[in-house]
Amino acid sequence: MYNGSRLTASIVFGMLVTVFSVEAHAQSQRTVEEIRTELEALKQQYEDRLSTLEAQLEAIKSASRQDEDEPHAQDHSSGAPRDNIFNPSISLVLDGRLADYSADEWALAGFPAGHESERPPSGLSLGHSEIVMSGNIDDKFQGTLTLGLGVHPGEPVELELEEAYVRTLPGIGLVDGFRMTAGRALWTFGYLNEHHAHSDDFTDRPLPYRAYLDGAFNDDGAEVSFVLPTEMYAEFGGGVFRGDDMPFGGSESGVEAWSAYGRIGGDAGRDAAWRFGASILSGRAHDRMGAVHAHGHGDDHDDHDDHDDHDDEHDTHDDEMAGHDEDEDEHEHLADFFTGGAFTGNTRLVAIDFRYAWAPTGNPRQSELILQGEYFWRMESGLYGMMEEHEECEDPEDSHTCIIELEEVVLDLDGGSRGWYVQGVYKFSPQWRAGARYAQVGLPKDAEADSDHSAFSAMVDWSNSEFGRVRVQYNREHLHDQEDDNQIMLQYIMSLGAHGAHSF
Amino acid sequence: MHRLATRLLIAGILAVALPAIATAQMRILACEPEWAALASEIGGSDVVVHSATHGKQDAHYIRARPSLIAQARRADILFCSGADLEAGWLPVLMQRGARVVVQPGQPGNIMASDYVKLLEAHENADRSHGHVHPAGNPHVHLDPDNIDILARVLLKRLVSIDPENADGYRSRHADFTARWSDARKVWYSRARQLRGMKVVVYHASWPYLLQWTGIVRVTALEAKPGVPPTPSHLVKVLDRTSSDDAAKAILLTPFDPTDAAEWVSSRSTIPIVELPFTVGGHDGVDDLFSLFDVTLELLESANSQS
Repeated sequence: MYNGSRLTASIVFGMLVTVFSVEAHAQSQRTVEEIRTELEALKQQYEDRLSTLEAQLEAIKSASRQDEDEPHAQDHSSGAPRDNIFNPSISLVLDGRLADYSADEWALAGFPAGHESERPPSGLSLGHSEIVMSGNIDDKFQGTLTLGLGVHPGEPVELELEEAYVRTLPGIGLVDGFRMTAGRALWTFGYLNEHHAHSDDFTDRPLPYRAYLDGAFNDDGAEVSFVLPTEMYAEFGGGVFRGDDMPFGGSESGVEAWSAYGRIGGDAGRDAAWRFGASILSGRAHDRMGAVHAHGHGDDHDDHDDHDDHDDEHDTHDDEMAGHDEDEDEHEHLADFFTGGAFTGNTRLVAIDFRYAWAPTGNPRQSELILQGEYFWRMESGLYGMMEEHEECEDPEDSHTCIIELEEVVLDLDGGSRGWYVQGVYKFSPQWRAGARYAQVGLPKDAEADSDHSAFSAMVDWSNSEFGRVRVQYNREHLHDQEDDNQIMLQYIMSLGAHGAHSF
Repeated sequence: MHRLATRLLIAGILAVALPAIATAQMRILACEPEWAALASEIGGSDVVVHSATHGKQDAHYIRARPSLIAQARRADILFCSGADLEAGWLPVLMQRGARVVVQPGQPGNIMASDYVKLLEAHENADRSHGHVHPAGNPHVHLDPDNIDILARVLLKRLVSIDPENADGYRSRHADFTARWSDARKVWYSRARQLRGMKVVVYHASWPYLLQWTGIVRVTALEAKPGVPPTPSHLVKVLDRTSSDDAAKAILLTPFDPTDAAEWVSSRSTIPIVELPFTVGGHDGVDDLFSLFDVTLELLESANSQS
């Protein structure tokens, strides 16, 4: 047996060892001593050699440290605005939609809706395609150019210069926390204005932005901002502008508008942050053109004749209204002036904005709740002028004797209005988000109607990566004096190329 | 009478203001907790350290929060990983904070990846490859040698920016380096037992750790870096790990999603091992020493399971 033979062998070996060791005891005493000394010497040798080697290694390391302490030749610090590979860096934004609406006609009654504020065309259409070029000019300046390619059915492709600005880099070394921007930019106002529409959480901008700013305020001008050296985030700034973009227009002097803003913000616990801001945008408009096609203006109104009276007594027109029906018609008519008239006067917009972001695990990439809201006050008063058609007939019975005359009617109207929106967007898995929004815009004061224009929106979107997003959105929009409009929108927004950092 | 009052007033102002001036500490804004920990080791009480992220956060994807802009506005030193890790938010902090001394090329700007050899550099990076960093993998802190290098870099900067406290920085650095070098010897000998251990990773968070420990990465749960795992890829992962000499662990950071790892783990019996990744990423990991200690402990215990 294997085990048995092994046992036997061990016993035999053990006996032999014992016998030998007893016999050779005296002699081995010396041998062991010798071996020990030899081993000791050997050990010493090895230790000497090891320490020599260690010293050599250390010498080599400290020599190479001289190089290590200097940054590598290639520059991959993430401090400067990226992207260094191409200068300027280029990015494209592609945006397409499919929309279906229950109401045939849509209008934002009482406001001169431009292309940016209109309801997107139904069916298949392109949204805003953008080309953004930006880069550092040198160590002190940075430049950005954004071209928007607007496609509107039945019209040639519209090339819009959305942004073209230069901005100081901190390297300019003026004052810490100071920044200056000049040119055309999405200026600081409220929360959304400075953000590109493609980063919005909903397919369409909230109603107040569409009504008051035709999407966004990006006039020609200059702006400064300053971040205070305080423990809590605090920033203020302001700018001066040409006064050509909505809510202004027809700049005469070239410096017709100004803005100011202040913001504070901080953390709410370890994984949540908030920001609160207040802004004002004020200036003068000269013959600001209204919408091309004013809603409801045309053959369906019979009461055009009484306009002349108002021309002279515009300030008292409220008192004149007798019957309720007439009242309605009157407001309807004034709404047309707000929508289609050329406005000359002062306009001022005040906004407060709030944003709160909470990432339950600290990682907004996994899940995040964002609440956001803005409230706007518009103060606008001045003259609205509109060309009106008058039918003058020699013989009321015979239409052939009639001639149509165009006459300019000018009214002094109060365009004061308030609007607001609140929205919440929740990212419930890394690629999926759901959100809801309520937005409302009050009609201009002198076009007061029974109801405001309001919209409730709900959306779900899916992002394959941070560069590609597909969204479906449902809006139930309450149009002034019309049926509710049920809107379904399907949208993709993809971006290619350099992708800058997003602000809070 | 007036004089006395004036003198008292001046004395009062000095009493309040002097301590404030005397204790004017260097403000260090670290992008990640590991650099904050290193800054505290070298800076001690001469610095105030603030970390932009905590141990459970993915430094890749945080928001440029208002509070961070305020921190960047006042920072004397910005201490980050670099190599695009913070590209989604750091540029905003630097531009909005507009603090001159922490801009690139200034003494207050330290990007760790500028001082160490980067692994996994890509020649041609296209977005279809996922979220790759052309310069190389930015998670450089899990190699003890890199910590050593950055400790020296930080010392040099602190000494040049704040020469008054140079002695303090030097002595703390000497002390840290001595302790670090002792600890490193122990870690290296422990790592010898881990050589050849096979692991599956979630994201390419570990190349520096795997390099010095000799641990072998079999595959990653993310088919492409930064793109969440797809079912079809997970099936492939399962195939690759079902061989006899299977992976010993699926390595996760505290902020990696667990669902994909759990799916693979439940079908392959490969255990999920959540490593601290950085300071604060695990209970008891409150400095750089415990970061490496706990990391090795967890790997050893995974490796010893059959």
